Amino acid sequence: MMKSWSWLWIACSVALCALPTGRAVAQMEFSLDETDTPPAEETPPTEETPPPPTGSGDIFNDIVSDVASDQQDETLDTGEARDEQVEEVFAIQRVYALRRHRLELSPSYAINLNDPYQGHTGVGLGLNYWFTNVLAIGANAIWYDLGGSSAEESNTSFFTRRSTRLGIPLNEWQAGAWLNFTYVPIYGKFAAFNRFIFEWDTYIVGGVGMMRTRPIPVFDPSVRNFDWGTRVSFNAGLGIRVFLSRWLAINVEFRDYIFLERYENTRIPVDVSERANPGNWLANGSSVTHNASISVGFTVFIPPSFTYHQPK
Amino acid sequence: MNTTKQRTRSVLILAALSLFGTVLADLAFTQTASAQDVAVSGPLAGQPPVRNLRLYRRHRLSISPFAGFTLQEPYRRSLFLGAHADFHVTDWLGFGVWGAYAGVGFDTALTDAIVQQGVVTGRNRLSLPSRAGFRNQLGVINGAVAAQVTLVPLRGKVALFQRVFLDTDLYLFGGAGVVFVDERANASDATCAAAADTNGCYLASQSARSTRTILAPTFGVGFNAYFTEWMGLSVEWRALPFSWNRTGTDESGDPAGNFPDGRVDSHDRFFQLNHMFTFGLTFYLPGHTHTSD
Repeated sequence: MMKSWSWLWIACSVALCALPTGRAVAQMEFSLDETDTPPAEETPPTEETPPPPTGSGDIFNDIVSDVASDQQDETLDTGEARDEQVEEVFAIQRVYALRRHRLELSPSYAINLNDPYQGHTGVGLGLNYWFTNVLAIGANAIWYDLGGSSAEESNTSFFTRRSTRLGIPLNEWQAGAWLNFTYVPIYGKFAAFNRFIFEWDTYIVGGVGMMRTRPIPVFDPSVRNFDWGTRVSFNAGLGIRVFLSRWLAINVEFRDYIFLERYENTRIPVDVSERANPGNWLANGSSVTHNASISVGFTVFIPPSFTYHQPK
Repeated sequence: MNTTKQRTRSVLILAALSLFGTVLADLAFTQTASAQDVAVSGPLAGQPPVRNLRLYRRHRLSISPFAGFTLQEPYRRSLFLGAHADFHVTDWLGFGVWGAYAGVGFDTALTDAIVQQGVVTGRNRLSLPSRAGFRNQLGVINGAVAAQVTLVPLRGKVALFQRVFLDTDLYLFGGAGVVFVDERANASDATCAAAADTNGCYLASQSARSTRTILAPTFGVGFNAYFTEWMGLSVEWRALPFSWNRTGTDESGDPAGNFPDGRVDSHDRFFQLNHMFTFGLTFYLPGHTHTSD
């Protein structure tokens, strides 16, 4: 009898040891109910062994959390309740910010890079609809006519004209608008200082549209005066989007807007009536002109939230 | 000059406003931002952000032959061929040397236009003795060497077309070096006016050269993608700011402000950013990486 009780005690002990603890259950099930409710037996980490930092992928939240935790040290000492952020673990990590069926609104500031004679700056607005997670159709527009400083003559142009007596035709830009396709071939994530993890992607964009430009009278300014004209334009570019949250990102984009520009005629007719004829003011034909720009701006995804669809 | 300042100021103001707007918007829309301590208590609690991280740089020597070209040069684009060697004491800090030969280049359309259409008058005779010889008076960067520190704050991975996965990092670097520049030699109207052959003096001054070694800072940013443990592709933007006379022309006035001052000399040098893009293959020694815990 004693022997059978001993075996029973041993069996019970083994069974008790084999039973999962509350914490082990929480780690094994990964259910949403479990993750929404913090385990009752959870003990905060002791001061002697602080947990290594863990980025959540949301830079601002991480930073705010860090700042908040630094500021709340006294609160911790007084034993007040702490918020707990429970992370879910997935066998395959999900894409941080889904784009599919979302609208993207992206205001930006653009600077021309390749015109040595003039500085062109503009403010832009882009609108994209993502019909897959990597492919979007949209439009963008840039307004260049921001006042007197939007088409300044550069030092290069001034010095060249002064030193070599070479007149350089100058044009000013009013605006441009394009219809575009955007494709995302590359996405990735970076760990900043092995602490904050943020997501980014690289996109290719291209489209067709128009530019509104006109020559600035340089060679015969007392007679010539030009109106805005519409030029056919194409564009192709490459951009990087860094996600600050699931609905907000910073983007930096390089894009070449190619258009058929009309320049001022460098020759002035001797005959007075021919000189006053607007038909002689523009050079013959159009010139392929590149507006290689870099733009910096924001991207706001609408709606700001989305739902992951997981296979059963 | 004022236009550049105004543009820079506009960019800075816009950047500051943008940053402010971003912070404000994110704080307004983010529900979890609060002045309370947030402790991760899920299964990732207490875990480091990355486990078994491949340490591509730590205690390794990287050698990177590269080719590149200068940007925004109005008169002559230079091609850079060189190499870059770094020893990395940690995965995020390295020390190294950079050197490049830049004697190869090609003229821009503006230079061609000046050669074809430039006009020589009595007033600009020193700046442009002959339009056909304009190429001979252009400043040329022959090469540069620099010592630099490399910081690697960002380490990550990318997916290309959802098929190819590469480890990457983004690095910053800064240092100092010397640039070897070939410029038009000093010349003056007074010298040529006193010469027996005035016209010949001007023409000879157009192709007379002087070589300078300039101490200059260098800084930039680069992106590295690792194909294997021992090889990667690097794309780099580098700036080498210094003052020089790119056109060999007389640009400054005399102390009274009268232009021109009739001399091509050091007063005609202007501060330029002198920046470039380079593409290189990077090889790492020894050929295998360590991994973190």
